[in-house]
Amino acid sequence: MFSNQTNVYKINEMLWTVRKYNKERANMKFLKIEDEIKFSQKMFKLKREIENFLSEEGYLNIEPSILEEYDEFREIYSKMDKRKTVKLVDNASDILILTPDITTGIVNKFMSKWEENLKLKLFYYGKTYAHNSVEISEKRQMGVECIGEKNGNTDINVLNTAIKVLKKYSNNYLFELGNSKFLKGLMQSCSFNKEDYNNVLNLIYYKNKQELREYLSNLPYKEAMSTLLNIFDLEGSFEEIIKNLEGLYMNDLMKEGIKELSKINDYFINETNKITYDLSLVSELSYYDGIIMRGYIEGSNKEMIKGGRYDSFTEQFGPKIPAIGFSIEIDELIKTLYKEEL
Amino acid sequence: MGLTVAIPKGRLGEQVIQMLKSAGIGQCINEKSRKLIFEDESKNIKYMLLKNSDVITYVENGVADIGFSGKDMIMENNADIYELYKMNIGKCKLSVAGIKGRKIFMEDTILKVATKFPNTAKKYFDSKGQKIRTIKLNGSIELAPILGLSDVIVDIVETGNTLKANGLEVLEDMYDISAMIISNRISYKFKRKEIKEIIELISKEDVNID
Repeated sequence: MFSNQTNVYKINEMLWTVRKYNKERANMKFLKIEDEIKFSQKMFKLKREIENFLSEEGYLNIEPSILEEYDEFREIYSKMDKRKTVKLVDNASDILILTPDITTGIVNKFMSKWEENLKLKLFYYGKTYAHNSVEISEKRQMGVECIGEKNGNTDINVLNTAIKVLKKYSNNYLFELGNSKFLKGLMQSCSFNKEDYNNVLNLIYYKNKQELREYLSNLPYKEAMSTLLNIFDLEGSFEEIIKNLEGLYMNDLMKEGIKELSKINDYFINETNKITYDLSLVSELSYYDGIIMRGYIEGSNKEMIKGGRYDSFTEQFGPKIPAIGFSIEIDELIKTLYKEEL
Repeated sequence: MGLTVAIPKGRLGEQVIQMLKSAGIGQCINEKSRKLIFEDESKNIKYMLLKNSDVITYVENGVADIGFSGKDMIMENNADIYELYKMNIGKCKLSVAGIKGRKIFMEDTILKVATKFPNTAKKYFDSKGQKIRTIKLNGSIELAPILGLSDVIVDIVETGNTLKANGLEVLEDMYDISAMIISNRISYKFKRKEIKEIIELISKEDVNID
């Protein structure tokens, strides 16, 4: 019984707030002007390289706004941690915030005036802001959004762009793919209440197999739980996953998720050692729905690329418009590239 | 690809080293030596001996790929790691203790809690709706209620003998604790096979213990 409470206690720390965002100061401080200028040149070069590349890939630049309206933003970005946003007050006593998430800002800006059949391939560079316990942290972010287009190749094209970005900077990169439809479908079939839902998701996030088994054993049995109990075997190569899925419960949404991944796997069949799959991927942003992607470079302890499909996020503004995107942790990328020098 | 393994010093570490040795992979570790790093070149595994509370830090920051740590430490640090395997060793409870008969839950009163685990204590009492003030101590926690520093303590309880000897008793059990094999999140992506293999080896030894 007690071990169940172990997890209850973690709920408040839920996954939705961007984890550990606060632990480090994003901005480097330099003692010498010379070092600062050197760093700035490297950042300039890196930024320009990636921007040029994205431009060649057919993405158009958009400048994200720094200021957002607090109430409006809070409404659409429901997982926003209110305490962490940096607030400002204007002359009319309206509260503004410094943007904590650029994708949300872009969607917010465009969806309200969206025209049918519009297809946008965008990239941005901007900064996001958050309070950590001591100070305000500023974080550079670059990213790509592909809004309005969804054909058989959209996911592949966006993923391909993401892969090419990392490939430019390291041979030891790795991409990890998942599909939120799988976990969503699975959790639906288990019909948990809210508390159990959060606890189960939390255990999945920590890959804590034994405690997940214990937890589920205290709940009324559902057929879908057989798949949930085996969720940590559903990682690795796509073939392994398909093999391990045999005989396990799957509903239509889960099958749809697998089908989408299968298509991607077919396309990247020659790069199987650089792409791995994990069906237990829990996305920290609830707005993903479909493909989830993560990119890593060996030697860095952070996710270098994060992204996924977020169609249902746009739905909050009216019609559901297909959208997929990813962001590049450029502060982390530069640290990794110039590890010795910086 | 080599694997770096963080092992805590102390009793848990000794048990872990025993397990590694009987699993046929920890031969290079010499507990009697004062060295802190041991390398098994043939198997491409590096072992680091660390203070138990530092294991999580090393794993979370990717200096070690996997490590052995108590669940108590994992909860207290709210570490962003994978909790891959729950072991049969290091079993105990995290409990609220105090002078016999002490009430824990009192409306409108701020309970003073002395503990090595202020974060865990705070979250536990929050979930129960009891306001507390934590007093962080590093040792001899049992003294706090006796000397009037705190109302109760939150601490690891194995046998309860230390409590009894100091006139205290467990007022409420909070969490079951055991040792866990934890892994860095990114290491796990790159070295999944190696990590799963070593856990498989250890789990076989782990089953034999009880």
